[in-house]
Amino acid sequence: MLLSYLKIAWKVLLRRKFFTFISLFGISFTLMVLLVVVAMVDHFKGAHAPESQIERIAFISFTRQDFKDGGAMNTPPSPYFINKYVRAMKTPEKIAMFSQFHGTPSYVGNTKLEFDLRFTDNVFWEIFNFNFLEGKPYNANDLRDANRVVVITETTAKQYFGTARGVVGREIEVDQRKFRVIGVVSDVGIIRYNSYAEVWAPMTTSKADIRKPVIEGDYYAALLAPEGTDIAALDAEYQQILKRVSIPNPDITKLHSHADGLMATITRQLLGRGSDESNHLTKFYVFAFGLALLFMLLPALNLVNINLSRIMERSSEIGVRKAFGATDGTLIGQFLIENIFLTLLGGLLGLGLAFVALQLLSDSNFISYAQFTLNLRVFAWAMLATVFFGVLSGVYPAFKMSRVQPVQALKGGTN
Amino acid sequence: MIRHLFTLIWNRKRSNFLLIAEIVLSFFVLFVVSSMLVYNYYNYRQPLGYEYQNVWELNLDPGADTIAYRQKLQLVVQRLKASKGVVNVSKTNSNTPFSFSNMNGHLYYQHKQSPLIDNYDVEDDFRDVLKLNVVEGRWFDRRDAASTRKPLVINSAMKNAMFPGEKAVGKIFTDEKGTTEWQVVGVVDKYRASSDFAEDVPVSFRRRPLEDEVAAKSFSYEIPVLLVRVQPGSGAVLEQQLIKEITNVTKTWSVTVSSLEQNRTAKLKVVVTPFLALGMVCGFLILNVTLGLFGVLWYNINQRKAEIGIRRALGATGNAIGSQFLGEMLVVTTLGVVVGLVLAMQFPLLGVFSVASTVYFQAMIVATLLIFSLTAICAWQPSRIAAAIQPAVSLREE
Repeated sequence: MLLSYLKIAWKVLLRRKFFTFISLFGISFTLMVLLVVVAMVDHFKGAHAPESQIERIAFISFTRQDFKDGGAMNTPPSPYFINKYVRAMKTPEKIAMFSQFHGTPSYVGNTKLEFDLRFTDNVFWEIFNFNFLEGKPYNANDLRDANRVVVITETTAKQYFGTARGVVGREIEVDQRKFRVIGVVSDVGIIRYNSYAEVWAPMTTSKADIRKPVIEGDYYAALLAPEGTDIAALDAEYQQILKRVSIPNPDITKLHSHADGLMATITRQLLGRGSDESNHLTKFYVFAFGLALLFMLLPALNLVNINLSRIMERSSEIGVRKAFGATDGTLIGQFLIENIFLTLLGGLLGLGLAFVALQLLSDSNFISYAQFTLNLRVFAWAMLATVFFGVLSGVYPAFKMSRVQPVQALKGGTN
Repeated sequence: MIRHLFTLIWNRKRSNFLLIAEIVLSFFVLFVVSSMLVYNYYNYRQPLGYEYQNVWELNLDPGADTIAYRQKLQLVVQRLKASKGVVNVSKTNSNTPFSFSNMNGHLYYQHKQSPLIDNYDVEDDFRDVLKLNVVEGRWFDRRDAASTRKPLVINSAMKNAMFPGEKAVGKIFTDEKGTTEWQVVGVVDKYRASSDFAEDVPVSFRRRPLEDEVAAKSFSYEIPVLLVRVQPGSGAVLEQQLIKEITNVTKTWSVTVSSLEQNRTAKLKVVVTPFLALGMVCGFLILNVTLGLFGVLWYNINQRKAEIGIRRALGATGNAIGSQFLGEMLVVTTLGVVVGLVLAMQFPLLGVFSVASTVYFQAMIVATLLIFSLTAICAWQPSRIAAAIQPAVSLREE
């Protein structure tokens, strides 16, 4: 049964090649755009090295301090604040802290290189699983003694030393000072802004005053939840701790901050301006889903129009089947299956197109070090979108077709 | 004729409804895209109001060092000015041209609130470094050090917003409570600092000479930034030399250098990429719709062969048949465009974005023209096919 439906669908596709081309073009390009977006989102928030434990990590990226006069200041927390209050938390298995990354110039002969430098503690290397090509990360002793050692990326090594191998132990000049290379890791995409850098150094070697007793600063904290514990439990404890914070600045009336998952840290800032009530994650997903739906609406409408034309062309076939007792349900089923078959075909094409587009995008290095890939998760999303698209564009024509009177259909009439 | 076309369309309202829905959506997409294009094109065509070529931006970060902040800063500027290859130096804040930060606020003139204005803290040499064009009054100079009120330079957009048709020099602005007063000493022409596509927004420059610096600031947006105009053709050698010069004075401060040209490219990337992505997606959507319309029309004409045959048999010329189908399509498009225009009118009426209404109206015209030419192209070829149908052939088919 199913096989004969598919056979018919295939024959119909071959019959009107121009219509088939239009349908496949519409479907495959729509899916390509969706897939590229999904792949980018996956690159941004999926569990890839070094953030392979991302599902278990909560970030403290922002503090909002409300002023007496109604103003507010939104900044990352200071290392002092993280050390004193966040480190006191009991629930997290590990707590790492790291600065924002900043560009710093280095000179090799007469050429200038610009490296993004980030200061971290030693736990940073335990929470994030970097792929070490050579050497090792700095440890607690390096941190305590403020040893001038750095971990660099493969590309940095190639740019500075001309080679990616055997550079451990050599000296590199960053931040206008000399550091010794202790490890080389694979490149990290700039989109993973929590772990990304080109050079990492112990935070004790920073020129900034990391002991200054203020709340605002430019450090982030990453909290690793124990296996099986929800991230929400971390935030719950963090909220209790915040109540005990003594605010040094008398102009500040209240302090807001949250330990959120990766996406929630962004949505809370973007949609909620750091508010306490909700992290706006659901709102964001609803919004994104609505946008995707809106984007699919036009191609779907187009496909409905084309499908209507195609199906009505086959009215004599429908008439015969109806005359021989096929119910509306069977006919609708048949045409839905045909349409899903068509969209799946388009989906596969779209997958191929997306693969090419992502390759081009990665190779162009438009977003530094971004490697967009199609994995199983993206593929699953693609298939889901395809089937949804197929049903969306197939239901109305199939329904309309099933309503055709057999007598009229046999005559070849449509209306 | 037109009435007849309407009757024909009404008779096939079901299938035409879907067509109209598609045209409404396409019109809306085109309208949104052309609004953005028109808006950005207008901004892009205006002069920036300054020269960014051969200007470098030096970011100094004192870090933990709080000792002798002003003296070190003054010495750095002095040394830089004396360096070979450097034309002029001016200290400002992090909101340099093409940067990602800005500072804004309101001023009050006789208790009337100004529109939101971008504020820049600058020195006397700022004008020479960026080559600003002063159109009224003068730029800041030594005389301002002794003035009782704080001197202020505004741009033409600010002048037009607050004192249309009057002279701005001499006018006195206050803050909300009226405690601080600023006197306008000059007006510059334009200063579109944010990007090539930035709007010509009201701007005010406040004088903040080096002598007034007190101590290192704790906030990142208050760390000192130096704009340096260098000789044309200067490169990494001078850059390294300048950094050395600075670190000789400041020892532990961190220094980063970038040219405004680099910053401009970086900013353009961020500003243009969304448009490019959006433009590509919309281009694809419209292409998709065009192909679809073409297919549907072609099919419709095949369906109505009998009708065409009868008309031909009764003496209609091929051209008359062709123009009937073209006309039908144009009427359907008109219906779609009318609905689309009603939707689009909401933007200027509700003032969703703070964009001048003329931008929307021009975008409507562009979108209408585009959609009509698209549907005309789609309908043209099928109409030709219809016109070429032989009455004998089509009637026999029936």
